[in-house]
Amino acid sequence: MAVKVLILEDNPAAREFLGRVVRESFSDTITIVEAGDLESARRQVRIAGGAQGYHGVDPFKLILVDLELPDGSGLELLEELRQYPATKIVTTLYSDDEHLFPALQCGADGYLLKEDRFELLVEELQKIVRGEPPLSPAIARRLLGHFRTNTRTGMNRRITDEGNGTALRSPAAASTFTSAMAFAAPAPVEIEPPLDLPALTPREVEVLTFLSKGFTIKEIAALMSIKWFTVNDHIKSIYRKLNVSSRAEAAVLASKQGLV
Amino acid sequence: MTPGRVHPMGWRRLLLLPIALLASLCVVMLARTLAQTPDLDARWRLDGSGHLQLVATDLPALHPSLGQSLEVVVAPGIAPLYVDGRRAVNSTRWLANDVERQAAARQQRQMARVLVSDAPVLLGFTDRTSAQVAPHPRGYAALGITFWLLCGMALALELVVAVVMLVRQDLRNLLYAIMAQCQAVQLLLAAVDAVPGLGNVSLLGGHEAALRMSLDVVTGAALLNATLLYPTPLPPRRALAALAWITAIVFSAAALAFDLPQAWWWCEALSLSTGLLVIGLLGWSYRLTPHPYATVVRRLSIVATGSLALVTIVVALNDRMPGEVQSLVTAVPVIWTVFFASLLLMSPFLARSQHMMREFAMLAGVSTLATSVDLLFVAVFSFNQFASITTSLFVALGVYAASRQWLLDQMIGARAVTTERLFEHLLRIARKVEEQPGRAADWQLELFHAVFQPLVARHEPGFTHTTRWYEGGAGLLVPLAVESPVANSPSQFDDGDQPEPRLIVLRFAERGKRLFTAEDARLADRIVEQLRRAVAHDRAIEQGRSEERGRIAQDLHDDIGARLLTLMYKAPNPEMEDYVRHTLQDLKTLTRGLAATTHLLSHAAGEWKADIAQRLAPTGCTLEWSFTQDMEIQLNVVQWSGLTRILRELVSNIIAHAHATHASIQAELVDGQLKLTVTDNGVGGTPKDWSTGLGLGGIRKRVRMLGGTIVWQQNTPAGVRCDVSVSLVSSMPTSPGAIAG
Repeated sequence: MAVKVLILEDNPAAREFLGRVVRESFSDTITIVEAGDLESARRQVRIAGGAQGYHGVDPFKLILVDLELPDGSGLELLEELRQYPATKIVTTLYSDDEHLFPALQCGADGYLLKEDRFELLVEELQKIVRGEPPLSPAIARRLLGHFRTNTRTGMNRRITDEGNGTALRSPAAASTFTSAMAFAAPAPVEIEPPLDLPALTPREVEVLTFLSKGFTIKEIAALMSIKWFTVNDHIKSIYRKLNVSSRAEAAVLASKQGLV
Repeated sequence: MTPGRVHPMGWRRLLLLPIALLASLCVVMLARTLAQTPDLDARWRLDGSGHLQLVATDLPALHPSLGQSLEVVVAPGIAPLYVDGRRAVNSTRWLANDVERQAAARQQRQMARVLVSDAPVLLGFTDRTSAQVAPHPRGYAALGITFWLLCGMALALELVVAVVMLVRQDLRNLLYAIMAQCQAVQLLLAAVDAVPGLGNVSLLGGHEAALRMSLDVVTGAALLNATLLYPTPLPPRRALAALAWITAIVFSAAALAFDLPQAWWWCEALSLSTGLLVIGLLGWSYRLTPHPYATVVRRLSIVATGSLALVTIVVALNDRMPGEVQSLVTAVPVIWTVFFASLLLMSPFLARSQHMMREFAMLAGVSTLATSVDLLFVAVFSFNQFASITTSLFVALGVYAASRQWLLDQMIGARAVTTERLFEHLLRIARKVEEQPGRAADWQLELFHAVFQPLVARHEPGFTHTTRWYEGGAGLLVPLAVESPVANSPSQFDDGDQPEPRLIVLRFAERGKRLFTAEDARLADRIVEQLRRAVAHDRAIEQGRSEERGRIAQDLHDDIGARLLTLMYKAPNPEMEDYVRHTLQDLKTLTRGLAATTHLLSHAAGEWKADIAQRLAPTGCTLEWSFTQDMEIQLNVVQWSGLTRILRELVSNIIAHAHATHASIQAELVDGQLKLTVTDNGVGGTPKDWSTGLGLGGIRKRVRMLGGTIVWQQNTPAGVRCDVSVSLVSSMPTSPGAIAG
């Protein structure tokens, strides 16, 4: 049976080009479904069994989504297809974290930059499908900030409990001023129960830090004295945690607003 | 008067009321006693021959004798009293000669006895005429305006004493209270002396002079003791203070109990030497710790001691002056007493009301000067009274006009910064705060350092809404106008929980020569407000700009980017495709540069590295990358996009032309100078032989735009080495420590 691929892209030339990339990347028989806007993409997904993908007789295995579409942002579709059991990839011209990070939070499994050369795109696409998603320095930095914010706000303290996690928060950094204040007033009690959000392990933090400095996976493996696929596992895990954390945050937000 | 140590007034304020009432009651009692004392309703003046001349009277019996000089007073049952006009001065405190003083005191006692006897007295005049009059209680109206003024001042001083003692009970305030209390009594006595009449009832018998001298000497001892303790405790304080107090007690005892010979000279010598000692000690204290309080008090001490010396000279020379002047001389010590009392009255508010303080001090100084000069002229040049008054008034006013500004500067310490300079500083700092928000706190420190030139200027955590003024003007707490934004640190490992500085602490204005005043606090507040406004304005402009840039970037990216992409996909050949791809990448760099204003160098380096590694990977060329920096800096848009494109172009050359198998890129930031070394092992050849179509022109142009240099040379054994050197920081920022120094 042919593998079904959905390409959501408004530029016909790009659509055609990405189709070629997809065909080149996989040895399976490929059926490409093209959509030029969000509306037609939603229709195609419904035909293939709906957003949850449970009843689909023949769901899409791979979905390429452009972010800038005539009738909205590709993020909307990604959000709707959070549970959809396909590899979702963002194809974009924007390589900055401002645009890509929300996409990753919405459950994208990777991203492709449309201006890259054909061969490179093929390679990248294969990697993502194999489970080796890309992570640029800017996004790595952004991820570090994201998870640190979670840790800071007390959502999760596991990061300090594991292994050498003490290095993350040195007690000496606490000032005399704030410690004096701490003596003066009892520590504030949170009314909200802490969210059980996934936090990064120290290893993952280390990997992200290296990535943010521009090191390649091979170099990181050498620097950390681990196998490259272990590095890759860390990256995959980070992707997963990002998705889970954003979903948990969304759930909390929804419950606060009385939506759930 | 540290803010933290002042107790809330509360019950103390309530206590103040009975104290004030009690003091007022004392004054009223005093006035009542004086009003009931019998006196002759006549006005007298000292004439040239040392007799009292009748000037005005409401008693009909005395009318024929108007203009005559009094020679003798006869009362029944009492020996005739021959009146020496010079001895009729009210206060015996300011008579230099022992014999004179005792004689005057005796005459006053006799006069009092004569008047009190209630029987009509016979006044004999020099022209052999006589008149019989009966003394009557003089009544409140006859006490004279000077009496009430001096009483009022004594009351005010008394109240200040009460307030000072109620606010805080410590040794320093106690010493002040002793001084002020002594002078308050002194003022009351002067008030009694100021009551016009033939001779006052001497309430204190013959001890008036001794008491007043003792009060002065005790004041001096307390002043000396206070100087030894404040502002800086001086090493020999115990010995000197003990010496001062013993001297004061011995003198007082000797003067009051044993009629110390030459008491007046002793008193003046003690007072003047105390003054000189205080001046010297304050100078020493300032050298130990440059507390501006020492300087200000020292200046006041110099004025007070100098004028006291003048008064002493005038009084000592009194004998040689003609009779008309001698009555004037009696006014001089009163003026000085008032002057000194007002200094005491003002000193707790030294820094709060310097405007009033300095104007008053100068006026008092000038009038003392005028009077003294007037008397000296009369004594030395034997001018007549009118001429001498006119001349001395002219001289004093001339000196006043000529030295007013200088005196003001001396008294208060000139503000080092003119308004013009202040404006310049403000603009400059506002711009700097905008340019480097991370160091906003440092820039503000520099601004206040320039404005007030304090000895100490530093940041501290804490909070204040408006400028606060502490330790009686030794220091100023200024709120930060613009707080440094919280730095978003690139790594998770450094925790940014340092307490942000929220306050600027300034101590010892004008290099310790001046106290901060309430006006300074207001000025600081206004500076903070202006700075806030300037920065807010700049930020609004900057935000508008960046919004506009963002919109342009978005348009470029969406429209031109999409078209270039289409063009790239449809390119007829790989060269064209690559060309369009490069164009597209340049466009992306351009739009990103437009959208973001600054990039951290370390962030940019990470992106460069990842980008170059990704581009070199498919060509089979290995990359060796090293990046070091001695400090983190922000690249501006021009620097970021320039360096990005220079690197991209250099790597493009390696990929396209060199056919290298290994490339090495070393980036090093030292002292704001970025050195880039790009080497490959490909087919480089002699750089001179390269054709110009390799994008080298573009690279050169960009390096030149950044104000840097670029050199290509042959690499051994093969390939090309390119050295780029660019200065990224125009001037090294000064360290905050240097400012605070």
